Amino acid sequence: MTRFRRFLVSDHLAGWTFILPSVVLIGLFGLVPIVWGLILSFQKAGLISPEREWVGFENYARIMSDPKARQAAVNTIYYTALFVPVSILLALFVAHALDRKIALIRFYRLAVFIPVVTSTIATGIMFLWLFDKNFGLANWLLDKIGFGPFGFFEDPDQAMIALVIMTVWGWLGFDTIIYLAALQGVPQELIEAAAIDGASRWSSFWRITWPMLGPATLLLVVWSTISALQLFDEVFFVTKGGPLGRTSVVVFYVYRLAFEQGLGGLSLAGYAAAIAYVLFLVILVLTLAQFWLGRRVIHYQS
Amino acid sequence: MSSIIAPAKAAPAPLDPSRLGGETGMVERPRRRFLPFDPWHLFLAPLAVVMLLPLVWMVVTSLETLAQTRHFPPILWPGTLQFGNYSDAIRQSEFGTWFWNTTVVTVTIVVSNLVFCSLAAYAFARIRFLGRGVIYFVLLATLMVPLQVVLIPTFLIVKDLGLIDHLGALIVPNLVSVFGIFMLTQFFRTLPIELEEAARIDGASRLTILLRIVVPLSLPALATLAVIQFMWTWNDFLWPLVTILTNQNAFTLQLGLATFQGAHQTTWHLLAAANIMSMLPILALFLVAQRSFVRGIATQGLKG
Amino acid sequence: MARVAFQDVTKVYPGAVVAVQGLSLEAADGEFLILVGPSGCGKTTALRMVAGLERITDGTITIGNRVVNDVPPKDRDIAMVFQNYALYPHMTVAKNLAFGLRQRRTSREDVRRRVDEVSRMLGLEQLLQRRPGQLSGGQRQRVAMGRALVREPDVFLLDEPLSNLDAKLRVQMRSELKRLQGRLGVTTIYVTHDQVEAITLGERIAVLSDGVLQQVGKPQDVYDHPDNVFVASFIGSPPMNLLKGRAMSGRVAVGDLEFDHAQAPDGDVLVGIRPEGLRPVGQGHSGPGFEVHVEVVEPLGDEVLVHGSVEARDAGVRIDAEEAKLLADADTDRGTVTVRLPPEERPEAGSRLLVAPAPGAIRLFDATSGLAIRPA
Repeated sequence: MTRFRRFLVSDHLAGWTFILPSVVLIGLFGLVPIVWGLILSFQKAGLISPEREWVGFENYARIMSDPKARQAAVNTIYYTALFVPVSILLALFVAHALDRKIALIRFYRLAVFIPVVTSTIATGIMFLWLFDKNFGLANWLLDKIGFGPFGFFEDPDQAMIALVIMTVWGWLGFDTIIYLAALQGVPQELIEAAAIDGASRWSSFWRITWPMLGPATLLLVVWSTISALQLFDEVFFVTKGGPLGRTSVVVFYVYRLAFEQGLGGLSLAGYAAAIAYVLFLVILVLTLAQFWLGRRVIHYQS
Repeated sequence: MSSIIAPAKAAPAPLDPSRLGGETGMVERPRRRFLPFDPWHLFLAPLAVVMLLPLVWMVVTSLETLAQTRHFPPILWPGTLQFGNYSDAIRQSEFGTWFWNTTVVTVTIVVSNLVFCSLAAYAFARIRFLGRGVIYFVLLATLMVPLQVVLIPTFLIVKDLGLIDHLGALIVPNLVSVFGIFMLTQFFRTLPIELEEAARIDGASRLTILLRIVVPLSLPALATLAVIQFMWTWNDFLWPLVTILTNQNAFTLQLGLATFQGAHQTTWHLLAAANIMSMLPILALFLVAQRSFVRGIATQGLKG
Repeated sequence: MARVAFQDVTKVYPGAVVAVQGLSLEAADGEFLILVGPSGCGKTTALRMVAGLERITDGTITIGNRVVNDVPPKDRDIAMVFQNYALYPHMTVAKNLAFGLRQRRTSREDVRRRVDEVSRMLGLEQLLQRRPGQLSGGQRQRVAMGRALVREPDVFLLDEPLSNLDAKLRVQMRSELKRLQGRLGVTTIYVTHDQVEAITLGERIAVLSDGVLQQVGKPQDVYDHPDNVFVASFIGSPPMNLLKGRAMSGRVAVGDLEFDHAQAPDGDVLVGIRPEGLRPVGQGHSGPGFEVHVEVVEPLGDEVLVHGSVEARDAGVRIDAEEAKLLADADTDRGTVTVRLPPEERPEAGSRLLVAPAPGAIRLFDATSGLAIRPA
């Protein structure tokens, strides 16, 4: 058999044929943009116009002096600091509640999981209606238990919190599934051994079960932080960054710069790309820090 | 003649049927039962209400008249159900077009994902070829990069391909997902390799092995990928927002719904109807394929 | 004060699955009692009921003076060694050992003293700061034992603690366990499916099958005088030879062998002879005997096992590993027997071996109920 024929029937050709469509598509729509994004961040670039002027680190420097960028950063951090602990702790408690065989448990689990499949827009509409200042159910119910009417999305101080409530509602099922799987992975024998050793239910949960949830918790912290830092849909659709810019988060600001203002003719694509890259770096550093911290604290089972 | 010899000391008196099916679990200190049901229901029932309330309330609103929606305190049950709201919502918008577009895009992407990801995953899992490790690593690395970084450049690429304002802009960049390749590669690796080796010895080509042996054994994983990809694509908002700018005929459901809300900010009864209709397919899929969804979410977690 | 008593204990799972039925059994204070039987016989369920890990459907279990049916595990003053050890993976060995004591608010000095004592006893001093994931199987097993010992409980419960060890380690740990239990004198209930383990370790053994207690007694007694066919077949390796015979007016015929037995009922009976109960005899032997057509010869070093067929009906009694039932096969014309010979005797496959039962080696069982037929 000639070398060429051998090549044709070889594994190398087979392998490459199989991966070729994927490699081409991901190369074009995944890898190229990553590199191009970096290049753009060093340019003054237009979205519609072909303008591409090299400006070095000017975009990055501009971030420091841009008050809107700072506000976006503050808002994003505020959102993340609220969203991550609330959603995870709530999910832990809910998963623990769902980890039992009582009547209707399948219905309860379904009720918790369903919100995960609703889209951000659908959820946004539902909560815009619920939180409507004048006709919303929420204010009516709150009034019944003696709390004054809230502005929710229309109140500058409450808007972010309302967003947290809405997104926690949407994500709780996801976190709960992860925790529930982890809880069910804790060997029953360990709980039994702890019971025989004299541990109360409280003690058994915190000293035996909780440490074994370490990997799941780390996963959820990393995942939730990454998604929280990238919040966009809800801000764009529900609050439009307001009121008074109090919910304008980083990705929203990037979108505004590149697509709203950019499409209006301003050459801000480069600047927007720079902000996007800074966010990427923050996410990367934060994730690595979380993993490093996690590995020190968690003891993985062998 | 054969006979069965029972254990010598056979069963004593027959058991009282009321005792059958005793409780399971550890012995616990006998506690006074204040309630006729397990106390956890006191937490889980309200939780279920809270989780389902937005949906249920939306359904109720979709069956009210405009006047009823403007009523405060809110009317909890409209009496006569205004099913007409649904047809009105369809008529007053391009709902049909949006639905069709989204269906076309989603089905295309799901199918292409299943095909391309399976091919690539099989190669990564089972074929030794030049550069396999490096390529796999690079692909996985792209998972680390968040969406907003690639948003602008990908837009530019799609623009240069002339796909802006066409469904192609939504389809082409998403024909393959790295997550899908990763998930299937992990899964294929867990299949017993002996089956494939036996087939190779019998002379089967790689493609035949993939189609005849690997795929039939991987239906749960493929179902999971299909379901997850369906959900992502159906619910995607940002990418359609960015790429479909002026061509209303190319709007997806999410995009259309968002503009509908813009146009009908105070006609909640129609907006609610439109919202419910947009959710029906994904809710139906969820109810039918619950296990796949749950598995998919649990596996997404493994990506971390 | 720490005897354990089962009184007519029954355990039924949802779906009417009966795991244990009417078990009445007692482990005296300080006694090493072994529950033995094939998988699914209910021995582990019985043990878990003593631990409080399973609720009791009917009957009572008493520890010391106290009926413990409604007492949760942590209040029962028992300690358990699980089959898979159940060590806390995120804690060091030292913390694993100390956990139970800390949960009961033992003072720090007492905790340290007891942990030191036990780690010395079991050779764990070097391992105290390691995690279970870093230990070998044998080391983990010792830590599991240590965790139980350190509590100084009234009762030790062990659930097949040696079954996950390799053969050599198992034999070693067996004697260590026996020594330990003798020294500490704590009431111990031990569960195993390995009847060799049961006979070598226990002061008394209780044989279970299908949730029903078959026989309880000293190992040698149970071996020598099994109460029924199940016990006869289960205890002893290789199993007792069982052949079908016919009895008429107190005379029993099985193959070429005939003998007298006053209590034998007319009709079919089962005749049992252990492999060591068949002795080779010379050609001119006058008494009752069998001619064995030798099929397989297994030299074991210290003895030789000869498997062959005889001109007698097989009792067709077999204990299926999965089901603790005695399944009767269709009768065949030739029965199989196993003969235990001293290592010098090595017959050839295909040859004929003449054997005769040693005096007092024959056991008789009722063919329908399987119960032993004993001289009055």
